[in-house]
Amino acid sequence: MHHFNPEDKLVRAQEVLSTELDQETVLMSIDAGAYYGLGNTARCIWEKLATPITFSALVDELAQEYEVPHEACAADLQGFLAEMEREGLLRVE
Amino acid sequence: MSNNAYSVYGLRVHAEIACPELPFHPQPDGNPDVTIRLLPTLPSTSESDESGCYEVRPGVFRLVVKGVGRYLVEEGSRISIEPLAGSSTDEVRLFLLGSVIGALLYQRGLFPLHGSAVETTWGAMIFVGAQGIGKSTLAAQFYRRGYRLLSDDVCAVTTTDGKLQVLPAQAHFRLCADAYERLAPAQAARFNVDKFVVPMDEGYCPDAVPLKAIHVLADQEDGDPQFEVIRGFDRVQRLFENLYRPQYLKGQETQSDLMRLAGRIVQRTPMVTVSRKRDTEKIDGMIDFLESAWAEHFGSNPREENK
Repeated sequence: MHHFNPEDKLVRAQEVLSTELDQETVLMSIDAGAYYGLGNTARCIWEKLATPITFSALVDELAQEYEVPHEACAADLQGFLAEMEREGLLRVE
Repeated sequence: MSNNAYSVYGLRVHAEIACPELPFHPQPDGNPDVTIRLLPTLPSTSESDESGCYEVRPGVFRLVVKGVGRYLVEEGSRISIEPLAGSSTDEVRLFLLGSVIGALLYQRGLFPLHGSAVETTWGAMIFVGAQGIGKSTLAAQFYRRGYRLLSDDVCAVTTTDGKLQVLPAQAHFRLCADAYERLAPAQAARFNVDKFVVPMDEGYCPDAVPLKAIHVLADQEDGDPQFEVIRGFDRVQRLFENLYRPQYLKGQETQSDLMRLAGRIVQRTPMVTVSRKRDTEKIDGMIDFLESAWAEHFGSNPREENK
C-alpha cells in the first residue's frame, strides 16, 4: 500500500465527476466506470482536496476540526487516501 | 442479398436479415448509420465458443451464443453475424435485437436502460425495474389508452443540444403470457417461451422525446400504489442497477462519455419508485394513478387543460 509522506501534495484526480444530489456527494470515476457515495468525513476530505494540499496540512486541519489525536488521524487518513488513490480518485503531486 | 432499411434509436439500419420487430425507415435510400451483415464465418478469434461468452474492447464487441450464432459489433456501425448450424432466424434475431443492439448503443455512447418508455405530454417517461416486474405490461396498457410507445425492453438516452432525450426504438413489445392473453391482437407471434411480440404501428412514436422522469417499478404486498421520489446517492445506484447489460460498460471507448451522461441524468431527471401490488385486472387503475401523480409532481396535464 502506498505510504504518504508529510510533504506529498494531494489533489482530486481530474477524471472524476463530483455531483451534489440532495445534500449528498457522489463521485463518478470516468476512467473506472464506477461511482461512490461519500459520508460526512469523506465529503469534508474531498472538499479540502479541491486545491492541492500537503498530507501534513490535511492531517492538521482534520485533527483540529474533528478533535481527534493527531496520530490516529494520520493513520486513518493513510488508509483512506490509499483507497482513494487505488480507485483513481486522488492524484499525488 | 437484399437490404432492409430500418429506423431504430434514430439510426438508419441496413440489414441483410429481415427484422419484423423494427420499423421501416421512411426514406429507405441513403447511407446507413449501421449495417447488419450475415457471414458464413466471422474472422477467427481467440475467444472460446462457450455460450454467452462476450468480449468488450474499444470499438469491438463479440458475443457467442452456442447453437445460435457468433456476433461481432465494430465501431458502433457494423454488425456481422455468423449463424451457427441448427439455429432459427428467430433465435438469431432474439440476440441481435437484445444484447447485440445493446452493445451497439454502448459503442455509440448512447445510455441504454433496461426498460420501457412512453411518450406523454410531460415528456418521455421511462419505466425500469427487475426482470418480470411488469415493465412491458404497463407499457402495453399505456398503448391501449392511446399513448405512443418510444421503446420496449431497451431505452436509449442521449443528449441533443444539452437536453436529455429518449430515442425511439423497436415497434414491438414483449409481454408475459398472462398479460398477452388480456391484450393481444390475433397477429401476435410466439417468440420464445413466455414473451410475445405484438407488432405495433401507429401506437409507436417515431421521434426522440425529451426525458421527463425515470420510474423504478417495485412490488408491494398490499395497499394503495406509492409514488416516492428517490433522493441522493440512491439515484445513482438505481440508475446503474437498471443499465442494460451493465457488464458491457467497462472497456468501451465511450465509457467516459457514458459516465458523464449518467451524471447529467441523475442531476437533471426526477427519479421515483412506483410500488404497487401487481394485478392485471387493475392495471388500468395504474395509468390513472400515474397520470394524477405526474400532474401533482410535474404540473397539470396540458392535454386535460385544452378540453
